[in-house]
Amino acid sequence: MFLVFTRPLLTALVLLPFLVSSPVSAAPESWQSLSPAQQEALAPLAQQWDSLPETQQHRLLITAKGYPHLSHVEKQRFQERLTVWSKLTPEQREAAREKYQAFKKVPADTREEVKQMIKQEQQQKAQQTDNSDAETANQ
Amino acid sequence: MTTKLDPGKVAQLLTQSSRQLDNSTLSALAEARQNAIERQLVRSSVAVLSTGRWTHNLIPHSGQQWLATGLLVAILMFSAGYWQHAQERKISELDVAILTDELPIEVFVD
Repeated sequence: MFLVFTRPLLTALVLLPFLVSSPVSAAPESWQSLSPAQQEALAPLAQQWDSLPETQQHRLLITAKGYPHLSHVEKQRFQERLTVWSKLTPEQREAAREKYQAFKKVPADTREEVKQMIKQEQQQKAQQTDNSDAETANQ
Repeated sequence: MTTKLDPGKVAQLLTQSSRQLDNSTLSALAEARQNAIERQLVRSSVAVLSTGRWTHNLIPHSGQQWLATGLLVAILMFSAGYWQHAQERKISELDVAILTDELPIEVFVD
């Protein structure tokens, strides 16, 4: 009776790694073979798409599925950041995901304070850039 | 006090006493001996298989066991696939969130 269950279990456990060890990624897809919706979402990557690693293409295609459900502002941000995002190493992207998740766990009021601080910093930087541009133009 | 047994004498005594047994007792004893020898042969062959080739125990022997193996493999593969899909979905949701968040991407990237 014992062997009735252990033999199949042992055999299944031995076979499983061989059966699921096939690579996750699909075959590389050329830019031309993407659907219009995929091309729209990933438009900033049109030039370098064919040279991207298969695993990255696969991940980006999954990410692009969420694009049609975004608001107009979110779509703009998505496309503006996509090129920078695609140039990161897998380790950098993983670290960014971890940071993002950690940030989401911070209490809402603290998170809001951080957001305000970052916005102020960005405004200051933008003003400094404008001023230096104006000075250069005057000279 | 110990008495030294002479195996030759013991065998002689046994042979003599066995000659005094009736035929039915002798045939019952012969049958019991034969059964004992057969049982010993089966046990030793099983021992060789179980100790010499461990893979023998891994391979299902009956159709029922093959069916159970197939079902288990299917269940495990489905679970692994489902887990993988869930992980990919979670990662892609995070990527979309980072790419569309109010905060610039530089905040999260070293």
